[in-house]
Amino acid sequence: MIVEQIPVDQFIAQLSHSGIRVKLGPINVLIRTEVPQLAKQLHFLYAYYDIVENEIVDIHTHVLPKFSFNNPFSSFVRFTVDGQSPFPPFPADQALAALEWGINLVIAVRVNHLLMFHSAAVERNGSLILLPAWPGSGKTTLCTALIHRGYRLFSDEFGLMDPISDFFTPIPRLMPLKNQSIQVIRDYLPEAVLGEEIYNTQKGTIAHVRPPRDHIFKTDQVARAKWIIFPKWTANAPLKLEPLAQSEAFLLLASNSFNYEILGESAFRAVTRLIRKCQCYQLVYSDLDSALAMFNKLTDEA
Amino acid sequence: MKLSLSSHHQLLLDALINPSTLTQYTYAQWELLLRLARKVKLLGFLAVELERRKLLDTIPVRVVSQLRSSLIRANKQQQLAFWELDRINWALKSIRVPIIVLKGVAYQLAKLPTAEGRFFVDLDILVPKDDLDQVEKALLKEGWKHREISAYDEHYYRAWSHEIPALIHQERETEIDIHHTISPITSKIKIDSRLLIDAAIASQSGHKILNPTDMALHCVVNLFQNNDLVDNLRDLLDLHDQLQYFASHDSAFWNKLIERANQLRLGHSLYYGMQYSRLIFQTAIPENTEQRLIQKPSVVSQLIMRQLVPLALFPLHPDKASKRAKFARFLLYLRSHWIRMPFYLLIPHLLYKTMLRFKPGK
Repeated sequence: MIVEQIPVDQFIAQLSHSGIRVKLGPINVLIRTEVPQLAKQLHFLYAYYDIVENEIVDIHTHVLPKFSFNNPFSSFVRFTVDGQSPFPPFPADQALAALEWGINLVIAVRVNHLLMFHSAAVERNGSLILLPAWPGSGKTTLCTALIHRGYRLFSDEFGLMDPISDFFTPIPRLMPLKNQSIQVIRDYLPEAVLGEEIYNTQKGTIAHVRPPRDHIFKTDQVARAKWIIFPKWTANAPLKLEPLAQSEAFLLLASNSFNYEILGESAFRAVTRLIRKCQCYQLVYSDLDSALAMFNKLTDEA
Repeated sequence: MKLSLSSHHQLLLDALINPSTLTQYTYAQWELLLRLARKVKLLGFLAVELERRKLLDTIPVRVVSQLRSSLIRANKQQQLAFWELDRINWALKSIRVPIIVLKGVAYQLAKLPTAEGRFFVDLDILVPKDDLDQVEKALLKEGWKHREISAYDEHYYRAWSHEIPALIHQERETEIDIHHTISPITSKIKIDSRLLIDAAIASQSGHKILNPTDMALHCVVNLFQNNDLVDNLRDLLDLHDQLQYFASHDSAFWNKLIERANQLRLGHSLYYGMQYSRLIFQTAIPENTEQRLIQKPSVVSQLIMRQLVPLALFPLHPDKASKRAKFARFLLYLRSHWIRMPFYLLIPHLLYKTMLRFKPGK
């Protein structure tokens, strides 16, 4: 069963009572909330996620209204995992951002059985393109464009690699577009489904892209990486794809991983294998058309 | 004395005492167990126990992923702590001061059975009080620094605590807690740390650690004297492990332990430690051993503690925390301060702490 199949009233009731158990790729998450606004947003944006039945849930989250002594006339929400808040309360209208951010944080802190890159990842013709990038480099925007033009979404945030088999696992989560990117995507991809705009967050205005249905349904199909491309959006820059030396790619990739240091030797070996097997590039782009054409050419040649 | 626990506490305890029963657990039981074990920092312990019994193939894959993730983290923390130990030995090699390693890292050095898979985020060492200044200065000179803390906390540490404000190296995250004794200087029990330092032994690796009786006494003092026992089940398991291990290697261990506790006047804490270790983990302590302690808690205290201690040691139910358990924890919080500080210090301290809770950013 998927979220969409539950009537919205029942969904809201269940969220506030025992919570909803959803499958986010390899991680099962329980979400509980008494915030009706958040419940409605989730019913829409989480529409295609599987409801976990007869399985263990890994992360137990709760978003609850919170009274603030310092600010008694505004409403706040608190994100908790197993009863503890990893960060201060958010304004109530940012509940969705708090939840998404909180889940990502817990995944980043807890998961060590997989090597975790801070990276977007998409698949075409059975092979994976890893798009590691630092915040502000436009990876979510690029990723959103790619997955609406024939590429399958693995993640816009986590490249999850099994350090033994070298397979990457999809974890298609909502993709938070920030500020100007929201309008860019609305113009470029009218078919993309976006949630409500959330204003004044730590990262400015955010709107979440809902991953398309087929992508979520294929979360069990893993893939090995063939390309590693470090993208950087630069205003008005002509498209430039430059091969990257393996040594440089190694350093960039290792330092961009969430848990490279914790995994230690097995991470070193996994990244070494990955770099040796992949073609590594640095990409500078400013417009999506030429970037997409470049991606198609690169992956067609394969 | 018999222990009656609520069902989620029993679930956790069964898993800790008898990990081979875990292969029978349902998904729902596993889900709850993982949350409880995570809360009391025992996921790494469970991972090691199951690995030793070669049972990781017989439990759900999702559980294995969580346990392996925790074990990888624990191993990394241990590696970092040992590296930090190596670095402070290097930084302090020119000053001839005995450095005694305490707690988690010491358990590893002593090769205690449950030390593997144990989480610890800091390195605890004990140095003679007279050498404290010299040690602190040497470390500050070699690249360590104090974390930024409030003036109140600074005063708290310097005037009343048994340790100085934590140090971290500029380039590394590992915290070093430097103790000059094992219990706050304001507590009613004064411990002459010289006695502990003089009796310290060398580990196989050549590091100094407390001798077996003192290590166990430090553990009980931490549990029943320095802390409020909240979610400290892991520390009681450490104690259980130490008692079993030391007694199996030295038939005179129990006598030595009682004598040492009497000498250091730590009977109170040890009495409770032995009682609860036996009650909860069924430690094989010869009957009536603790009756030979000169200082024992009164019968009334024992009865009250009996109602409170298990409710604090075991984690709250993550979805439906009982009011009784919360109240028990509150009382033990007060108790921990009460025995740590005289009244005239305690009241202002608790007021200050309460005020902090309502400060912005909370």
